[in-house]
Parts: sequence; C-alpha cells; structure tokens
Amino acid sequence: MNEWTVEALESQLDSFHLGPIDLALVPGRVTAVLGSSGAGKTTLLRTLAGFLPARAGRIVRDGVDLTDRPPEERSLGYVPQGLGLFPQRTVERNVSYPLDVRGRTDALARARELLERFGLTPLARRYPARLSGGEMQRVALARALAAEPDLVLWDEPWQALDVEARYELGRVLEELREMGQVPDVVVTHDPSLAFAVADSFLVLRAGKAGVHGDAATLLAHPSDLFSARFVGYDNVYDRATLAAGAPGSLAAWLAGRSGAEGVAFVRPSLTRGGVSGAWEGVVRSARPTPDGFAITLRVDALAVAVKVAPSDATRPPPVGARARFDIDEKSLLVLGLPEESPRKEP
Amino acid sequence: MNRPPAALRRRWRTGPLWLALQLVLSGSLLLLFLLPIYALFTYAPPGRILSDAGNPAVKAALWLTFFASGIAVLAAVVFAIPLGYLLARHRFRGRSVVESLVALPVVVPHLLVGVGLFFLLIPGSPLYRFTTAIGFPVYDTIWGVVLVMVFVSAPYTVLAADLSFRAVDARVLEAARSLGAGPAEAFLTVTFPLALRGIVAGLLLTWARAVSEIGGILILAYTVYPGGPYSGPVTSTLSVFVYNLFQAGDLVDAAAVSSVFLLIAFVLFFLVRLGERSGWVPWRRGDFLP
Repeated sequence: MNEWTVEALESQLDSFHLGPIDLALVPGRVTAVLGSSGAGKTTLLRTLAGFLPARAGRIVRDGVDLTDRPPEERSLGYVPQGLGLFPQRTVERNVSYPLDVRGRTDALARARELLERFGLTPLARRYPARLSGGEMQRVALARALAAEPDLVLWDEPWQALDVEARYELGRVLEELREMGQVPDVVVTHDPSLAFAVADSFLVLRAGKAGVHGDAATLLAHPSDLFSARFVGYDNVYDRATLAAGAPGSLAAWLAGRSGAEGVAFVRPSLTRGGVSGAWEGVVRSARPTPDGFAITLRVDALAVAVKVAPSDATRPPPVGARARFDIDEKSLLVLGLPEESPRKEP
Repeated sequence: MNRPPAALRRRWRTGPLWLALQLVLSGSLLLLFLLPIYALFTYAPPGRILSDAGNPAVKAALWLTFFASGIAVLAAVVFAIPLGYLLARHRFRGRSVVESLVALPVVVPHLLVGVGLFFLLIPGSPLYRFTTAIGFPVYDTIWGVVLVMVFVSAPYTVLAADLSFRAVDARVLEAARSLGAGPAEAFLTVTFPLALRGIVAGLLLTWARAVSEIGGILILAYTVYPGGPYSGPVTSTLSVFVYNLFQAGDLVDAAAVSSVFLLIAFVLFFLVRLGERSGWVPWRRGDFLP
C-alpha cells in the first residue's frame, strides 16, 4: 500500500523547533514542501528520514509506527541536497549500492536495468565527478529507486541545474508519479517546477505548517508573503513597509487594505497611452517578455511591477518616463487574516 | 608610503619576477634537502656503498629497522585510526585534552620519550614484571624499538585519520544510511574508502617517522637481541648502527650505510607516489579525489 501518515511530528535542531506537522502521503502523489530559507524544509525531510529524532508525534507506514526506527529500516529513497553520490563508486556501483547492502545477488543486473531506463547506460563506468548536473540527478534518482523504496524524499532536486536539466528532471518526476507506486516528498523553492510536478503543497514558516492543500488551495489562499510570491504574485508588500507610507500615497492606500502580514496583487496593466489612471510612477526598468513588456515603476517609495500588453505598445516606455495605472481593489490579496491560516486539506 | 609604480606591481604579481622569486625560495629549500645527501653519496665511494649493502651486519640492521617500523605501522592501523575516528565524529568533554595529548609526542624531544619510558618500565616495577611475564620484554628487544616507534610516530596517523574522516561529506553518509546501510556498513563502504587516501598518507608519515627514530631507542633498545618476532643476529636499528659507526670514527662506512638506507627510502616513497598518480594503488581508484 505504502500509505504514510505523519501525525503532529515535531523535532528540534539546536534552537530551531519544527512542527507540529501533519501530512498524508499517498502512492503516486507528489507533495512539495515549500518555504523560504530556514523555514524547516530540510529539517522536516531529515526527521522523516530518521536523521533527526522526533521530539513528538508519529511517522506511520501502513499502520506500522516507524518513528523510532533508524534510517536504514525505513525503506526510503532519500536524495539529500547535493545528491550524496558516492564519489569512489562508478555510476553503476552507485545505483547497485542499496541492493549490494541488502546482499542481493542480482544487484548489478537490476542496476543495469535502471541505468537503461534512465538513459544512463553509456555512463555506467564513469565516476560521479565526471557527470553533468542533469546526469548526476538521474543517477541519484535511479539509486534512490533501486531498492524499491516505500517513500522517496528529495531535497532541492533542482538546485544548480541548467534549464535543460531542470526540464528533464521535471519529466522524470512526472514519469515517476505516473508509475504510481510510491509517494514522493519534494523540498523546493522553485515554483514553476513545483507546480509542474506536485499534487499537494505544504508551506512551512519558521518551522510551523502554513497552507497545506492542492495547487488550487495554494493559489486561492496564499496566506503569507512567501506563498504569495511563490504562487506568482509580483507585487507583495509587508505591512510594516506599507505603514511607513505618507498619507495619500499608494503605500498608505494599500496599508488601509492590508491584512496582518501585508497585501499582494498581480501585475496591473499600464493604462492605454499611460495618461489616465489613479496612480502614477516613474519607469525604472523594462524588459520584453513573451507577452509584452514587464515594467518596474517607482511609486513614491514602492517598487510596483506592471505590464504592457503587446497590442498596446511595440516598445516599452523609456526609463525615467512617467506612467499611470489602476489597481482593482477586488484583485487585492489580503495576507495574514487570522481565519486564513493554517488551512488544511479536507 | 613608497609604492612601486603600477607597471612594476603588475609585473610583480604575474610576471617573471614573481615566478623567479618562487623558484629561488623553493629552490633554496630543495637544495638544503639535497646537499647533505649529495655529501653522503660523494663521501663514500660507490664500491663501498655496494659492498656495505651486501654486508650481513648492515643487512641485519636494515631488516630490524624495516621489520620494527612495519609493526609500528600495523599498531597505528589498529589503534590510531579508531582514535582519529573518535576525534572526528564525536563531540565530548575533554576533547581538547585528548587532542593535545595526541600532539605531545610530536613536540617532545625524543630522548625524553626514552627516559619517560625507562622510568615507566624501570626494572623491578610492576609494569616491567607484567610486560616480561606476558612475553613483551622491552629492554634491548624489538619490542622496545617498536614501543618507542609507536610512541613517536602514531600521532601522524591519528591526525591524518581525524582530518580525513572529517572531510567525508556527511550527506554522502546519510545517503548510504537511507539506502539501507547500517552504521557499520556505511562506515566500511563509504566513510572508510573515502578517508583511506588521507589515512594512507598518515601511515606513510608514521612509517617515515618510525624508521628515522633514534632518541628513545638509544635508551630503551640500544642493542637488540633476538627474541619475540625478531630472530636475526644481535644488531641495532639502522639509526643507532650509523651512530655507532660515526662515533667509532668510521666515517666512510657511516656515509655508505646512510646512502644505502636513503636509496631504499627514496625508492619506496617514489613508488608510492608513482602508484598514486597512475591509479593502481587501492586507495586511489578512478579520478574521484580532488
């Protein structure tokens, strides 16, 4: 079955406290653990893997309590940050390692099957130091899957990968999900790939669980600054910054509509011709995008991201020019309302 | 403040002047290493070096020296590597004391080591009676030589093992554990192989320090009689052997025997380095190490 439940899990690393965290991990579903640096993502993964003791709560697989089991008895495919490939072993011997330690006589044969599946056969005799970033990722994944784990844990799998390799890894992860045998937990701070592969999301903030749910939940209810930025809001302001705005300024206007944490809104369009509109700013930068131009305006002390549709202009307004825009009050996302967090998946 | 003109500063950093300085400084040190060796080799005629190399007394001293230092290296493998691992992997109270204790034999003048061991094992003392009873008498035996050698040389292996174990990436180890390896298995399959090269470098230093020891040996085992694992003729370690020749005024033989030893040591080190570079020694498979 491979159904995992994490119940009110807590752990401690020096002065950092993680939890309580609740998670339900189902085969074939990818859970992305999100959060800014220091939010506790890696701590959660290392606690799940058994490298940090749980202070409270339980980790249960199909009714069996694994909370106090050592890492080697949890049947995991854990891919740590930096991948942890064995530098003294060839690609082939890296992949066969989990089978070697289990004394399986078919270790090498099974490793070769996996190499074939991940397109690594030509690299079988190479050492990790001579692989590209994408190749190393594939080796790490093949190795994690070699012993047919009951749960796959990835820590920042996209770190330090070029665009091609990231795309390829996304594809591999999707394939893995389609195979549907094990649940995956992926720690990341990369929104586009997380949205591409994950079925559910858990946002961590200072060790505590924030939003937890599917993509729609996360998109509809990003309850904090990090989640708002993560799901793609370009204009995210914390309450303290807004509160410092002079009366009558955009900051003050936003402050009046801010939640306990702040407020966010998507890029508004510059008004046609840039002459009407409630707010005015000075163009600081403009860059072409597949759909028009992305422009940063300075409005008093705030930087505001706006856009110009390709149908409205063939060239962006020059830096230093004045431009006007409107903000639809209904489009404002209020961050940090008490009833908004934490939100759990039903 | 006087500063050299910009053009000169540039040349100084990257140009031939900078290279020349490096060459002069490194060259001076290499010359210091080389000249005494040159003096040894030229003082004794080649014929005498050859005949001394075949001399049974010289061969016995050489054999004893290599044999005893081999045992010292084995002792370092058995005792020093675990201590290095302990220091690398565990935080405990009194760690700094242990670390200082390990460094002590390196700093202490080696004649003092002999004197210290002499007082510890002074004839009639309980430890003297004990070591003699269990078949490890130290005075004028190979065990005395080995004891001194281990004392002065094992710290190099402890230090090298400590550094090498520390250098093993903890994440690689965690990967191994999560993939199903227990603590012992992860040590044997990951930690130890990755630390091996550094440890071997430490063992080489240990061996080098052991064969070159004289101070403590002069006191504990000036003359070595057959017994224990050593069954050759009555002899002494090579260092003591050369010291005796020199004291007796036999300068030509002192130079010749030293030359024989230097040749053997140089060839051994050269072979090890060659092996490391070519990749056919077991601790440097492939090209995985920086």
